[in-house]
Amino acid sequence: MSYLSTVDFTEDRAFVDRFQRTMRGDLELSWMDAPRERVACRPQNERRGLTFRDLDVGSYGFTDMPELIRENRSFAPRGAAMPEGLPDLQAEVNRKSEVWAYNIEGYYEEAMTRQWNATTDIPWGELQSVDLPEDIGKAYAQLLTFLTEVEMIATDVPAKWMGRLNADFFEVKNFIATQAMDEARHAEIFRKRALSTGWGLMRASAQNEFNLKFLRDADSFAEASLALHLQAEGMVLTLFRFSEYISPTEGDKKLFRLVMQDEARHVGYGMQHLKWVLDHFPERREAIHHHLDEAENFVFGGGYATEVLEPFIILSGKGLKKENIAEGVRITNAFQLKQADEYFERLAKCGLPERRERSRLWKMIELRKQSMAA
Amino acid sequence: MRAERERFSRLGFFDTTFGVRISPDDGGEPAEFALRFEVFDCVRVVEGLAGVETDFVVEGPLGAWREMFDTIHALGAADTTQSLNTLTHFGERLRVRYDDPDGHDKLYRFAESIQEFLDLSARVDYTYPDGSRPPARRDEPRRTAR
Repeated sequence: MSYLSTVDFTEDRAFVDRFQRTMRGDLELSWMDAPRERVACRPQNERRGLTFRDLDVGSYGFTDMPELIRENRSFAPRGAAMPEGLPDLQAEVNRKSEVWAYNIEGYYEEAMTRQWNATTDIPWGELQSVDLPEDIGKAYAQLLTFLTEVEMIATDVPAKWMGRLNADFFEVKNFIATQAMDEARHAEIFRKRALSTGWGLMRASAQNEFNLKFLRDADSFAEASLALHLQAEGMVLTLFRFSEYISPTEGDKKLFRLVMQDEARHVGYGMQHLKWVLDHFPERREAIHHHLDEAENFVFGGGYATEVLEPFIILSGKGLKKENIAEGVRITNAFQLKQADEYFERLAKCGLPERRERSRLWKMIELRKQSMAA
Repeated sequence: MRAERERFSRLGFFDTTFGVRISPDDGGEPAEFALRFEVFDCVRVVEGLAGVETDFVVEGPLGAWREMFDTIHALGAADTTQSLNTLTHFGERLRVRYDDPDGHDKLYRFAESIQEFLDLSARVDYTYPDGSRPPARRDEPRRTAR
């Protein structure tokens, strides 16, 4: 208990007197005269309901929010009257361009309506009736083990930053709250699927965890978002699509379509955030490149994680026979190139077209394409 | 889709406009359509893509589309080989065209809604341009292990 009240209220005469007067019906009512903007927001589209966009009015809105939040250091909801004496809660992120994204309010509403349930939305009964061959079953259980590890850290990162953002960034805080829930559900579903395959969880991945630690320990929210939403989740989105492609059953395909939806929404936020940063805080461009340099170094180092790479080969080749492995290597190669292409394509669209020229990962990918073509 | 309001409401907001391009197997002019979804419904279907701002366009030969719709009609829903993501992932059967990766990602943001929309075709009685019909519903499981 490190934070103590400066007052012992049971011993404070003024407090006790005021409390007793109130409870006798002698109301003070000064809060009723707080000079606030009166609004009665209505849904612009009745079918959609009352959205955050409908609340974007006057001092309650986000459009006119300044770049630097100097006034509100407390939990006062944006637009509320702020009396003297509110505590300084020492938010670490008070610059709008460090967190904001175009259409952030839309991503939040979409997230809320597209929540699903790992316990009830998957045909678990049908999945239990399917016996996977041993090589496929083990490879799939290993992939699920890796994905559970990934999603656990993906839950921790937004949760870590949520309380560090200024309360005025209400829409962003709510969005990353939905992200933490999404990622927790992903960890849940991958764990449940691993434990229902008949094989259980397989081996944790040291190399992968170094990468995850890099994501978790970013020095700023902007760096965390860049590495998590755009680089990591962008690549995981391609991985989920690939996993849907190689899934052995229809139930597994549904599972991957559901996680894919959430992941694509997080990537959407990451893209719109990076665009916002480059439009409103262009001096960060160089810092972004430096952070991506290291993020991509970890991505390339992921090649050491045989427990991650080999299951892809076995699942996409559908077995361990020589011809299966050859086919699996061919498909996995195509997947990895696609993953890199989509990542650099997103960065270019966000306003970093020069990333390809600067990136050592891109150069390695180009060399690989050339050697494959030869 | 409106008759399945409960099902699509549960899947959530579904806001995208995408195109469908079907190339005749004999190489003639493709048939093009734009489908617009808003909130929980398909609100507009128009023929032609000229002047329509789409998030992405799914294109492929009539044979590939037909195989997908035949499977859906026969089994009630796509099987492991005929889901839209599987068909488009490496562009082996169908391809996805787009200008903006953010628009492209909407194919994945709304993946389950789009798949369920396509699966609704199992309940529609229709004929192909050559006058043939999709196969009748088979009463067999569509899920396979390998």
